[in-house]
Amino acid sequence: MTIRHHPSDESLVRLAAGALGAGPALVVSVHLQGCAVCRDRLARFEAVGGALLEEMSPAALAPDLFGRTLERLDVDPPEPAPRPVANVKRWPALGIELPSAMRGCEIGPWRWLGPGFRWSKVKIEGSPDAKVMLLKGKAGLHLPGHGHTGLEFNQILSGSLSDERGHYFPGDLDEADDEVDHRPVVAGQTDCVCLAAVEGDTRLHGILGRLLRPLVGF
Amino acid sequence: MNEVRQEETPPSPEELILLLEAVARGQDHKAFAQLFAHFAPRVKSFLRRSGLADGVAEEVTQEVMIAVWRKASYFDPRRAGAATWVFTIARNQRIDRLRRLRSAAGEELPDPSEQPDAPPSGEDIALAAEREEQVRKALATLPAEQAAILKLSFFADKPHAEIARELGIPLGTAKSRVRLALARLRAMLDRDL
Repeated sequence: MTIRHHPSDESLVRLAAGALGAGPALVVSVHLQGCAVCRDRLARFEAVGGALLEEMSPAALAPDLFGRTLERLDVDPPEPAPRPVANVKRWPALGIELPSAMRGCEIGPWRWLGPGFRWSKVKIEGSPDAKVMLLKGKAGLHLPGHGHTGLEFNQILSGSLSDERGHYFPGDLDEADDEVDHRPVVAGQTDCVCLAAVEGDTRLHGILGRLLRPLVGF
Repeated sequence: MNEVRQEETPPSPEELILLLEAVARGQDHKAFAQLFAHFAPRVKSFLRRSGLADGVAEEVTQEVMIAVWRKASYFDPRRAGAATWVFTIARNQRIDRLRRLRSAAGEELPDPSEQPDAPPSGEDIALAAEREEQVRKALATLPAEQAAILKLSFFADKPHAEIARELGIPLGTAKSRVRLALARLRAMLDRDL
């Protein structure tokens, strides 16, 4: 399977730098799981981070910091917190297998959003404000046309989508900025499920925004 | 032994890898002291630069160095150089600290650096050291302004706004300059593939 749509370099740099919000970071992580090309690009940007760390001019440390650190080394590490149980088991009603990058997320049940159109809230542990959700559309569904004030990330999990700019298949990530106004259609014969996130201060305009805003704050 | 001597000459990338491996193998305090002398002041400097206050930056630096000690066995030089690995730990600890500050619960979050990675692809395995060298060279040859923009992209949570402010240019111009700097970096890195 060839992946044709990838996150931008800017988003990968922000992920490498730890400056991408939790929602977009989750969507990009799901993409990375299936995309060796982007894993390699991310590794390069992390190497840029390593090179910048090497170049930092050393800061002054408290004189006893090393001593205090040594004292803590051999103390037994705290028990790791129990991993959240696999969400797939927690929500069998979703009827889809979720990528393992989403373990640790709390997934809500499918809810009605419109004819042939469902959504499910995705909660990221530690980031209650992240705007991220699963969307499911029936074959042939025309999503309401919409634009956004900031970036929207959309990773196709199953089925396919098309819009004015291209076709998106499982594994593809569509990153749309504020210049994109699109009207996606569920292509092919099967339902399409995707994982979508917008940046924290992004608002969707158009009817999709009016539908989603009261529900997820999009 | 609870004093750390200031390093005279920074260890080479290869030496840093050997030190990490010594910590992983034998819980070697002496090797750890050298890693601490090299990385702790740089990690703190990085954390300060990304906006943490002095006291918090020092606390997080301590957490980073403890994580280096505990997770040394996860370090795989086929995947990343020592500085890159420490950088990712510092980045994760910083995110973790910021989330904790925001969430009153302050519960333990799963640490991405402990999660198994996807199986390494061919590119992953072969060339970590080469990749790091290539990245260092590319950074050194990048025009000064583009290198500065790239750095700001790493240190700022809202890089475009900060770049605009620091260079005194409009936001739109900052966006296109980031794009330009990344395209330049990418061209340099791809040429060597």
